Amino acid sequence: MLDRATPETEAQPTDAPRPVEFRGAGFAPGGSRYSGWVALALVIAIWQLAGSAGWVNPLFLPAPSAIAVAIYKLATSGALWQHLSWSIMRIGSGWFIGTIAGVIVGFAIGLSTMARGVGITFISALFPIPKIALLPLLILWLGIGEEPKIATIALGVFFSTAISVYSGVDAVPRNLIRMAQSFNVPFHAIVRRVIWPGALPSILAGFRITASVALLLVVSAEMIGAQYGIGAFVLQAGNLMQTDQLLAGVVILSLFGLAVGKLINLLEARLLHWR
Amino acid sequence: MKGWMRLALAGLVMWAASGIARADDLLKAKIGVLRLSSSAPVFIAQDKGYFRDAGLDVELKFFDAAQPIAVATTSGDVDFGITAFTAGLYNLASKGTLKVIGGMSREKAGYPLIGYFASNNAYASGLKTPKDLAGKRIAVTQVGSSFHYSIGLLADKYGFKLSDVKIVPLQSLSNAAAALKGETVDAALLPISTARTLMDSGGAKFLGWVGDETPWQLGAIFASPKTLTNAQMVTKLLAALVRADREYHDVILATIRDGVVPINETTKPLLEIIAKYTNLPVEQVVGNCAYVDPDGKLDVKNVDNQIKWLQGEGFVDKGFDANAIVAKDYVKAD
Repeated sequence: MLDRATPETEAQPTDAPRPVEFRGAGFAPGGSRYSGWVALALVIAIWQLAGSAGWVNPLFLPAPSAIAVAIYKLATSGALWQHLSWSIMRIGSGWFIGTIAGVIVGFAIGLSTMARGVGITFISALFPIPKIALLPLLILWLGIGEEPKIATIALGVFFSTAISVYSGVDAVPRNLIRMAQSFNVPFHAIVRRVIWPGALPSILAGFRITASVALLLVVSAEMIGAQYGIGAFVLQAGNLMQTDQLLAGVVILSLFGLAVGKLINLLEARLLHWR
Repeated sequence: MKGWMRLALAGLVMWAASGIARADDLLKAKIGVLRLSSSAPVFIAQDKGYFRDAGLDVELKFFDAAQPIAVATTSGDVDFGITAFTAGLYNLASKGTLKVIGGMSREKAGYPLIGYFASNNAYASGLKTPKDLAGKRIAVTQVGSSFHYSIGLLADKYGFKLSDVKIVPLQSLSNAAAALKGETVDAALLPISTARTLMDSGGAKFLGWVGDETPWQLGAIFASPKTLTNAQMVTKLLAALVRADREYHDVILATIRDGVVPINETTKPLLEIIAKYTNLPVEQVVGNCAYVDPDGKLDVKNVDNQIKWLQGEGFVDKGFDANAIVAKDYVKAD
C-alpha cells in the first residue's frame, strides 16, 4: 500500500491542472422518434420471411400477412366493431370504478393513521389473490351479466391504483406540507394544492400500469359467458385452434394498449406541465 | 494398435447390437389421456400389462382438457392422443397434422356420460325434459365443444333451431356448475362426475342423458402423421387397446343396470384400476362408465356429421370431410 502511495504524493506538487474530460453525460434516455418503429418493422419483416419461406408451420406461428387478413375479414364483417365496443365498455367502466375507489382509498391511507393500518393490511392480503380463481364465486354472487366482468376488471385496477396513490402521497416532500401549515393553510387546501399535485406524477404512472392491467383482465373477465368482446374472441379462437384469429385478437389488444399509452402521455403533458 | 482397434470395434458392435435388441424388445410410446373413465380401456391395458405384452413400453401423460391433448399430439410431445372430438381437434386434423386411428367412448342409450341439467327455478317453471330446452339459456364450457354439439343434435331431433337457444360459454365446468346453481342460466350440459355433487346438494335438477337422446361418437384415438409412419407401433397399440376394450365391454359394460355397474368379484378388479387412474372412489366409478365399442370401432358416419355441423356453424374450416382425417388402414368403421 505504502509503496504505491508514495509516487502519487510525489506527483501532486506539480501545479499544472490535470485535464479532466466531462463525465456528466448519460443517465438521461431521450425519446428517439423512429428507433422503436424501425425495430418493430424489422421484427415483423423477419417473422413474415420465416412464414413465407416455410421455416415455421403456419399453425404454430401464422405469418403477419395471415394475421392482417384475419383482422381485415373481421373488420369487413362488422364483428370487429361489435367486439371492440363491448370490450371498451367493460374496460372503461371497470377501470373507472376501480380507479375512483383506488384513489379514494389511496388518499385515505396516505392521510389517516387509522385507514393506513387497516387499508394496507387488507390490500396486502387481497391483492395477490388471482382474480381468475374467484370466477366461480363471482358468478354465484353477481350472475353472468356485465356485473362480474366489470367487477373483475375493477378489482384488478383498484389494488394497483390504491398502492400507487398512497405511495405518491407518501412521497410528497414533508417540508412543503410543513411550510403550508406554518402559513396556516387549512387541511383541505393542503390536500388540494400541495399533496394532490405532488402525488400526481406517481398517480399517473399508476394509471399507466392499471390501464394495462385492465387490458390483461378483459380476457379473463370475458370468460364469463361473453358473446362479444375482444377477450371472448381470443378465447374462442384458442378453443377452436384458429391460431391466425387468436393472434389477430392479440394484435388488436396490443394496438389498444398503444392507444391507451398515447392517451396517458397526453394526460401527463396537460396535467404535469409544471414539471 | 491393431488390438485396440479390434477391441473398440467389438465394443461398438456390441453396443449397437444391444441397442437394437432393446428397441426390438419394447417400443416406447407416449399416450396423452384425461383422467376420466371414458379412457378406461387405456388404464386397463396399462395396468394389466397388455401394452407390454404387445411389445410396447407405454408412458401415460395426463392432461386436464381435451384440446391440449390434440395440440400435444400435433407437436409430437405425445405419440398418441385419446380424448373427445372438439372443433379445435378437427381444425388441427384438417391441416393434416392429426389422423384418427380408432374409436373410443360413445354416447349410447343406457350409459350415462353427459347429461342435461336444469336450474331449480327453471325446473319449477316448466323445464322438465330435454325437449323443453328450446328457447332457454344453456351453459356450456366452450363454443364448438362436445356439449355444444350435443345441443345441436338435440335441436335437430326435436326440430327447434339452434339459434333459438342462447348458448353461454363459461370456459370451465366449475363456472358452468356455479352459473346453474346461482340460477343465472336455465340449464347446463355437464358430465355426470361434475353434476353429481351439484345434484347431491340440491343445486340442479336432472333432465336426461345425451346418450339416451342422441347417441354419438364422443372420443377417439388419434396420432400425428410422424407416428403413423411407424406402422408396427400403431398396430401393436391398437391390438392392445382392442384387447382391453373387449375386456372392459364384457366385464363392466355388459353388467350395467340403470346406468350403474354392480360391484362383485368379476367387476371389482377392473373398477379398482379405473378408480386408481381417475382418482375417484369405486362407488363413484360405477355410475359413470362410458360405452366403448368392444372391437374399437369408429362411427365414421357420425364423425362426418360432426364435421358438417361444425362447418355449418363456422367453427371448423370448410373443404374437408371425415375421409380426409381418418387413417383408413387402421380404422374399423361401424
